[in-house]
This record gives sequence, C-alpha cells and structure tokens, in this order.
Amino acid sequence: MIFVEQALQTLVAGLSVGCIYGLLCVGLALIFGIMRVINFAQGDLMMVGMYVAIFVASFVLPPAVFGVATPFIAALLVVPVMFIFGYLLSWVLISRTAGLKAASLTEGDAHQAQLILSLGLALILQNGAHILLGSSPAAMISPLSSSAWEVPLLIDDFSAIFFNKARTVNAVICVVISVVLFWFIQKTRIGKSLRAAASNSEAAIYMGINVSKAHNIAFALGTAIAGIAGGLLVIYYPVQPHVGVDFVIIMYAGVVLGGMGSIVGAFWGGMTIGLVQQLSTLFVPIQLQNTAIFVVFLFVLLIKPEGFFGRTVERA
Amino acid sequence: MLRIDQLNVTYGGLQALDGISIDVKAGEFVAVVGPNGAGKTTLFKSISGTVIPWRGTMLFDGVDLATLAAYERPHLGIAHVPEGRKVFSGMTVFENLEMGASTEEGRRRWNDTLDLLFTMFPRLKDRRDQYAGTLSGGEQQMLAIGRGLASAPKLLMLDEPSMGLSPSMTDVIFDAVAKIHKEQGLTILLVEQRVAEALENCDHAYVLETGRVVLQGSLEELSSDDRVRRAYLGL
Repeated sequence: MIFVEQALQTLVAGLSVGCIYGLLCVGLALIFGIMRVINFAQGDLMMVGMYVAIFVASFVLPPAVFGVATPFIAALLVVPVMFIFGYLLSWVLISRTAGLKAASLTEGDAHQAQLILSLGLALILQNGAHILLGSSPAAMISPLSSSAWEVPLLIDDFSAIFFNKARTVNAVICVVISVVLFWFIQKTRIGKSLRAAASNSEAAIYMGINVSKAHNIAFALGTAIAGIAGGLLVIYYPVQPHVGVDFVIIMYAGVVLGGMGSIVGAFWGGMTIGLVQQLSTLFVPIQLQNTAIFVVFLFVLLIKPEGFFGRTVERA
Repeated sequence: MLRIDQLNVTYGGLQALDGISIDVKAGEFVAVVGPNGAGKTTLFKSISGTVIPWRGTMLFDGVDLATLAAYERPHLGIAHVPEGRKVFSGMTVFENLEMGASTEEGRRRWNDTLDLLFTMFPRLKDRRDQYAGTLSGGEQQMLAIGRGLASAPKLLMLDEPSMGLSPSMTDVIFDAVAKIHKEQGLTILLVEQRVAEALENCDHAYVLETGRVVLQGSLEELSSDDRVRRAYLGL
C-alpha cells in the first residue's frame, strides 16, 4: 500500500514537472522549427525570465492587491517583457546568422555561426546576471508552494496523495499556454505564415510574407515562452545565474525525443522527461535520476529515431 | 506592365545575366526559352527580389522594383511560381492556397478564386486536407500554380512548370496555363526549356543563351527562324 501511495505521489510530481519541461521544450521547438536556429541560450533566457518574474513580483505588483495570485500574475507579465527582448535579440543579432542573410552559406556554415552566437549569448547572459545580481540563489516566496490539496485514496483509511498548490496551478497554466500556442500556430493567419516561412522561406517570400519578420516573431515567442516557464518555475525552484545550464540539456533532450520541429511532440517530449525523472526515483537512487532520463532517451531513439512526432510526410 | 532594361546580374564575379531587356505588355503571354544555365531562373529571381541585380532597371506598372523588398513585390500583383514548385510540404493543400492569398487583393477575391481553382484543378479539391508533401509531382505543380493564382495577381510568372513531369502531365499543365491566359486575360511570363510547348501558346518570346537575349519576336517570327527551328524545334 505504501508503494502504491508513493508511486502515485511521484506520478503527480512527474506530471507537474513534466508540464513545465513540456512548455520549455515548446519554446525551443518553436525557434528551431521555424528558424532552424539551434539556440543554446534558451536555458539562460529562462533564467532571465525567472529574475524578471521576481523583480515584477517584488517591485511592481503590490501583494496587498493580488494576494496569493501575485507570483502567477508576475509570470504572465514576463511574457511581454521577454517577447520584446527576444524580438530585439533576433532582429539585432540572430537574424545575421539565420534566414536570408545566411542563405548564401551552406547549412553547416550557417549552423556553426548560430551555435557560436547562441553560446556567446548564453555566456553573456549568465555572467551578466552574475555581475548584476550576484551568485546567491534567489527565490519567490509564495504561500501556495508550501501548501497542498489532499486527495484521499480510498484503498484504506489513511493513504492520500498531495497536490502542491503552486505546482498544480503552474501545470495548468503550462498546459493552457501550450494549447493556445498550438492553436495560434495551426489556425491563425500569422501562425500559418510562420509555418510557411519555416517550410520554404523562398516560396514564402513569393507569397508576400515578410520572412525576416516571421523569424523575429518566432524567436520572440520562443523567448517569451522560456520566460514564462522560468517565471512559473521560480515559484518553487530558486534561481541563480547558471540555472539555465541544467535546463537547456533537458530541453534539447525533450525536443529531440518529441521529434525535431514538432511543437506537440516537444510538449510530450518534455512531459516524458519530467515523468522519467520523477518516476525513476522509485527504483534508483535520486542521484541517478538524470542518468535515467538519458537511458530512456537513448532507448526511445533506438526504436524511433525520428522521435515521437517526427515528420514523415515528406515525399522523396 | 513589366519593363526590364539592361539587367545585369553577377554571382561572385560570374556574369549570369548580361544586359537583358524584356518587355511584357498587359494581357500578353510572353515566353522566355533557352537551355540550362542561360539565366532564366536568375531573371525571375531578380524580378522577385531574391537575387539583387548589379545594374539595370525593372519597372512594374511604373514602380521601380529596386525600391521594394522582395516580400513587398507580390503585393504589387506579381505572382512567382518557382522552379521545382516549392510547395509548403508540411501544410495542407488548402493552407498552401491560403498562403497564396496573403495579398490584400487575394484575400478580397478569395472565394471566387477558390471556386475557379477547384473547377480548374478538381484534384486539388479532392486533396484539400492532405499535406502538400504527399502529392505527386503534377499535383504539386497544380498546387504551386493555384497558390500563385490565389494572390489574384496581375502578372503570373511560371518558372519551368514542366520540370520533372511526364509528357501527359506537362500537357495538362500547359493547357491549364493557356486557359488561364485566354479566359482570365491574365498576363503571363513563362520560362521553359521545352521550347516547342512554350512557343505554342505565347504572343511573344525571347531566346536566352548564356545570359543574353539572342533572339526575340512573335511566334511566327521565331518559328520561321532557322536557328530556332534547328536548335530547339528539331525541324
């Protein structure tokens, strides 16, 4: 009985972590899928989002007015800030190594320039945060992260699982954002233009689509998503300038697992990683949870190299 | 409608177009023919703005195209159906057509255009929710032309629509293009390697060789020219 209770409790933890990872992966997949840019600074953009959320919650929003909702509203307010930041980054820097400016380069050459640029950006963000904010971890204090809803299991009188309030609300927000984003990309004209620009940028130009702007919007959206995911994460996970390093690896694993370029796939890839990370603690020591992720990762790719939702519609 | 004067394009010192002058009048069907590497696609890309010419002017309805970015030119009424079709393979047939209608005029006439396209190419209607990447070559070409027409253009530019298609499919495509020209009165600029088919329907043709216009004239003038008869028509 204790094992069942423990397993369910771990499953709940896995789902809530998985939702955040899923959202993080969606942001990365958006940038990769539309711009074909490999962005190693994605984890650090998340870190910036975490700090922005703390800043907004502590200095902009009066807690007396918003009460326990303060951290979540702060996370939502990260979106416009990071959208603008991402748009500027893409417009000023990334666009020089992507899209049309790089069209004269071979794919490999363009990717090398992007890799170095995004790694440089990652270093600047990390060390910039270090200089400005110091290395001691910061956290957002929310009463919700130390309280839980208790759901009794009906197998006996005392077993129950706990839903941490902050994590549960977070998970719901992550799912809602992912669904809205998916709808936006699939159904709206702007979303379709982004997909067209991703599918064939030359043809997209012949349709009258401003491909450079489409790329900037994609990068800005990806940045905003990294930001809000960070803003939600910081409610129970402390931030320090190098926090992005651990997360960017998880994000890449999730995106590859889901199938490169697929946004739905990226969410499920992130979810899988969250679940594996938490559920593995039932069987192996907690220090091995990240090892478990990559064992599963390799195993999935061995069976399905294109990932869960890899594109196979292409006709030769 | 489209006047190109002394157009020069170089790729890293290599001369691709050498002083090309071409004139397309409203309502005309103009063909540009010539062998591989003559600069036909480069000419089209210069008009669309994905290749920047080194010298020369291009006027479309009196607007200097050099003053507009590539993505702004379709909004003037230029539809470019690119070589190799370049459909949006991960999007459905219907979504591809929607992307064609990104121009204001295209959106305004969307319902009419859609009726027209589905009557002209019933296969596209049958496959409207299928991914474009799963279509056959001929169907993709229909889609590429349909996507161009969806912008409700003044000038339709077709870059080698016969590429990679079977002879019977090529006929279907050329018939459709001729029909669009006759029934809609649409101005057409066609680039082709299949000279005989291209000349068949055109009002005026240019023969391009290694970046130069070596010959031009009406269908009668060209088909009575010995060089064209020998080199291109096999007569």
